[in-house]
Amino acid sequence: MNPNMNADVHALTGAYVLDAVSPDERMVFERHLGDCDACRQEVTELRETASRLGAAVAEPPPPRLKASVMAQIRDTRQLPPEAPVVPLRRDRSPWALRLSAAAAVVLLVVSGVLGVLLVQARQSDEPTDAQAAAIAEIVRAGDARVVNQADADTGRMTALMSRSADKMLLLTGDLKAAPSGHDYQAWTIGSKIESAGLIQPDDGKAALEVSGIDAAQAVGITIEPAGGSDQPTSDPILTFEVT
Amino acid sequence: MVERVRRVREDQAAGPDTAELMRRVARGDEAAFEQIYDLLIGPVYGAVRRIVRDPAQSEEVAQEVMVELWRTAARYSPERGSVLTFAMTLAHRRAVDRVRSAQAAADREDHVGRREASRPFDEVAEQVTARFEQEQVRRCLQTLTELQRESVVLAYYGGRTYKEVGELLETPLGTIKTRLRDGLIRLRDCLGVVG
Repeated sequence: MNPNMNADVHALTGAYVLDAVSPDERMVFERHLGDCDACRQEVTELRETASRLGAAVAEPPPPRLKASVMAQIRDTRQLPPEAPVVPLRRDRSPWALRLSAAAAVVLLVVSGVLGVLLVQARQSDEPTDAQAAAIAEIVRAGDARVVNQADADTGRMTALMSRSADKMLLLTGDLKAAPSGHDYQAWTIGSKIESAGLIQPDDGKAALEVSGIDAAQAVGITIEPAGGSDQPTSDPILTFEVT
Repeated sequence: MVERVRRVREDQAAGPDTAELMRRVARGDEAAFEQIYDLLIGPVYGAVRRIVRDPAQSEEVAQEVMVELWRTAARYSPERGSVLTFAMTLAHRRAVDRVRSAQAAADREDHVGRREASRPFDEVAEQVTARFEQEQVRRCLQTLTELQRESVVLAYYGGRTYKEVGELLETPLGTIKTRLRDGLIRLRDCLGVVG
């Protein structure tokens, strides 16, 4: 990262705290936060400041809200405390082993990519506009690749990726439901491991757009306590190498 | 630094120890949650209502926020800020997500031009400031430059992205980013968040 870009990211602290950034910028900024103690301190203080702006316009809600919140929490399971983080050392973790063993890498020309996508899109029902936009962006980038992975216990997943577009789209049509009280979570794995979001299959179908793959070696999927973890707490069940 | 932040916070929020209440909530204590609800629902609902505007939707979002607070109580850590800030961060994010959802975005596209044309910023700011219950926040907002204040108000209360703020204020994006950060830093110092 060049110094200008770093300064640029750093300047986003205010916009980030005010939720005034795009999802992509949020992801980039949160990655930057991992490396920058001063930024984390600044975010903590500016959040505190922003919350005062909110508190200053406090107003009472309709009284019925309380009963309805109290009723809903009685039916709402609480998340456990953050699970202990499994230390992941890329040089000797099972993640690294699986990476080097990553199999079945299929390189397709653009027309082939589109064919697979149409099938996948059909399996995942209609792609949303966001997915369609991501697909278009990746395919247009010219270095689009498709990789299929399968795990006997979990199902198959297809990754469409482009390093130059800095995006990967994970698609699945037959993903088994995560074990009770758990979710599938995707991670970008590079010099750091960052959450790329949860994959919550609906009738086996799911899609997840992963940004910021350029700095990553791979994208891995783990099973985490419901709601996801800050860092992976188990080994990946599927891994897509970024090439 | 954290110590100083916490000390100021406790001075301001004299009353029940909210961090201790959250520890009890994390263990499933509904009575403790009820106290947390009573303490936080005013700020949460007020902020959500300011951003979302529609009362029914505001109520829904406020409910989501409070249930999320219950669900994630075990993930709260006092080192990372006060319970109020934890709740308000959640509330702002949820409210902003709501107004940026596809339907709302379409509506806003429709209205943004007309609304801004017919309601100049000063009027919006006046409405906001007139309702401030905390004189301190109002006073501190006045210490910002006009551009800092307009940017912060549009982003926080208007739920605008900095790109939208740039368009509305016809100001380059780099300037807006900087003003949002400068503005918050000035507010922080004025409010004594850092002690």
